[in-house]
Amino acid sequence: MLSNHIIVGEGRPPWYKSDGQNCDCYVVGIAGASASGKTSVAQRIIKNLNVPWVVLLSMDSFYRDLTEEELEIAHRNDWDFDSPNSYDYDLLLETITKLKEGKKVDVPIYDFETHKRVPNKANTVYGANVIIFEGIFGLYDKKVLEMMDLKVFVDTDADICLARRIKRDVAERGFDVAGVLKLYQRFVKPSFDTYVYPTKKNADVVIPRGLENLVAIDLLTKHIQRQLQERKMQSRWDMAKISPPKELSPNVIVLEKTKQIDGMHTIIRDRSTTRHDFIFYADRLATLVIERALNELPYETHTITTPTAKTVHGLRLNAHVVGVSILRAGGTMEAGLRRVIRDAVIGKILIQTDPSNGEPQLHYCKLPPSIRENSTNDDTYIFLMDAVIGTGAAGLMAIRVLLDHDVPEERIIFLSFLSAPQGLHIISNAFPKVRVVTSYVDPVLNPHTLFLEPGLGNFGDRYFGTEND
Amino acid sequence: MSYQPPPQVIQLPQTQQLRALTTIIRDKDTQRADFIFYSDRIIRILVEEGLNHLPVVEKSVITPTGKEYHGIDFQGRICGVSIMRAGESMEQGLRDVCRSVRIGKILIQRDEETCLPKLYYAKFPPDIASRFCLLLDPMLATGGSAIKAIETLIDHGVAEERILFLNLISCPEGISAVVAKFPAMKIVTADIDEGLDAKSYITPGLGDFGCRYFGTDK
Repeated sequence: MLSNHIIVGEGRPPWYKSDGQNCDCYVVGIAGASASGKTSVAQRIIKNLNVPWVVLLSMDSFYRDLTEEELEIAHRNDWDFDSPNSYDYDLLLETITKLKEGKKVDVPIYDFETHKRVPNKANTVYGANVIIFEGIFGLYDKKVLEMMDLKVFVDTDADICLARRIKRDVAERGFDVAGVLKLYQRFVKPSFDTYVYPTKKNADVVIPRGLENLVAIDLLTKHIQRQLQERKMQSRWDMAKISPPKELSPNVIVLEKTKQIDGMHTIIRDRSTTRHDFIFYADRLATLVIERALNELPYETHTITTPTAKTVHGLRLNAHVVGVSILRAGGTMEAGLRRVIRDAVIGKILIQTDPSNGEPQLHYCKLPPSIRENSTNDDTYIFLMDAVIGTGAAGLMAIRVLLDHDVPEERIIFLSFLSAPQGLHIISNAFPKVRVVTSYVDPVLNPHTLFLEPGLGNFGDRYFGTEND
Repeated sequence: MSYQPPPQVIQLPQTQQLRALTTIIRDKDTQRADFIFYSDRIIRILVEEGLNHLPVVEKSVITPTGKEYHGIDFQGRICGVSIMRAGESMEQGLRDVCRSVRIGKILIQRDEETCLPKLYYAKFPPDIASRFCLLLDPMLATGGSAIKAIETLIDHGVAEERILFLNLISCPEGISAVVAKFPAMKIVTADIDEGLDAKSYITPGLGDFGCRYFGTDK
């Protein structure tokens, strides 16, 4: 029988410690002569590693914009693109530094025709566990070298490199053989001898013969795998075993237990409640959680005139709310959000449990431009939504994603129907400025099932109707 | 505000976000679509608060984890009663919270000769006497039509203490008039204004709620 639950591919396992701090990602630098096979070696390593969330970064993206004078030279084909002077090392260093810290980065796109970066366009890269950076000057800049965990030099014989280059440039770049040779003699070869070859001494590993050297590539892969293993994070099962303090953090807001809140909880917790009723009361409860969360935002004085021509000094919301749901169950709060903020923009983060070890994995992340561009969003607040905060593992991951996109911690308000003290503690401990609004806190998080007790079962299944009969 | 409402009055907590909502519906420049949307939001909060004043009984349920949750159940059935026309604007908010609730209607108009409110029409669920009534009128001004409506409900056998009167904006004059007559009834209101002007409109108020909600002004 076909399963009703399909997850294709592996998600990204946690890349941060239980205190929410990022672990550095692993950076591999690969240098070597032009057409020595750097890219092929990198691709082979990626294939062998067989882990998701590996980013291949090419030095070609970091050619700097040429000045007007330099452009003239370039258009006469006299500019030396093989010189280290052609690259923007500041941007390269910034990019690798941010990636290593787990931050989101925008990698420029270089246009080889205009010799400029394509304006207002970039490849957004986020969430690498391993970065492989390759280029002829991959091991050239001292500061970039300091960022690297493993430095590789691909040492392929010059005649093979030249032969490949002729083949490639004639077939793919419209050169004739004479043109390639001219360029080679004038720029490529002198640059290699003067600048590139000396960087070989910066390498930890030298791979002779490039891609053909399967043994070397295999050894490298094994080494990287071992390094990744050593960075294993604290497990979700351990998180469930912590004894949280009696008092909740002041940034955790639990809705006042009115008769209505208690009555609605009685309905959604009852295992005999129909889905029809479950959805209705979940939506009602979500609306109240959202209304409460809105009170956490800043307001400013706003003076208006009534139809009776009276002046009223009222208030106005001085914030822009973006919803982000942690899928699947966090999506159950969207109806409530839309009831309160009609046109709320909603981003999505799909986090699923890895069936092999119960750890959360990030599978998908689509955030709205106001988060991604990080430009004029001074008044943007994020309502991060999940149905239940249990161990806090998924929430921790989602908050980490937002922080990696440079959302300030104090701009995140994490909403849930139901929470466990363990998860609330994990979240507040890791991110003390994140506020949590929840409609109820249950006393027990079962360390064996990771379900809350008395709890309400699987919220997403009951709301979306995907539970097994 | 120095005015202290009598204990029968439950005013919603004046949170920043509620004050921002009332600011929007008071603004004469607010477009109708926004007026409706934000009024509905306040009305939902009003209804949620109103329902908290109904009696409950303890109830335990078994959750899907097999554990017991000690919760509550609502005792007795409810119905909405809107004072036409403006009260009908609160029906959507009521239904958002109480799906498929029964709704009675009362039409009260000012009698041209006596200038007193006069009952023109009423239609209730037949068993209204056994239900808790949420009486809906967005504005409590002089209290004239509210008193007439409550009298009608009592005439139909509804006990005074089983009526909850919900409104968005009230004023001290209307509150004292209604409370004086029906001390056992509760009033749930979002905001209490300064008072009435010479024409008996609530001031600062928000104009004619029904006209702004249904789009029949000007």
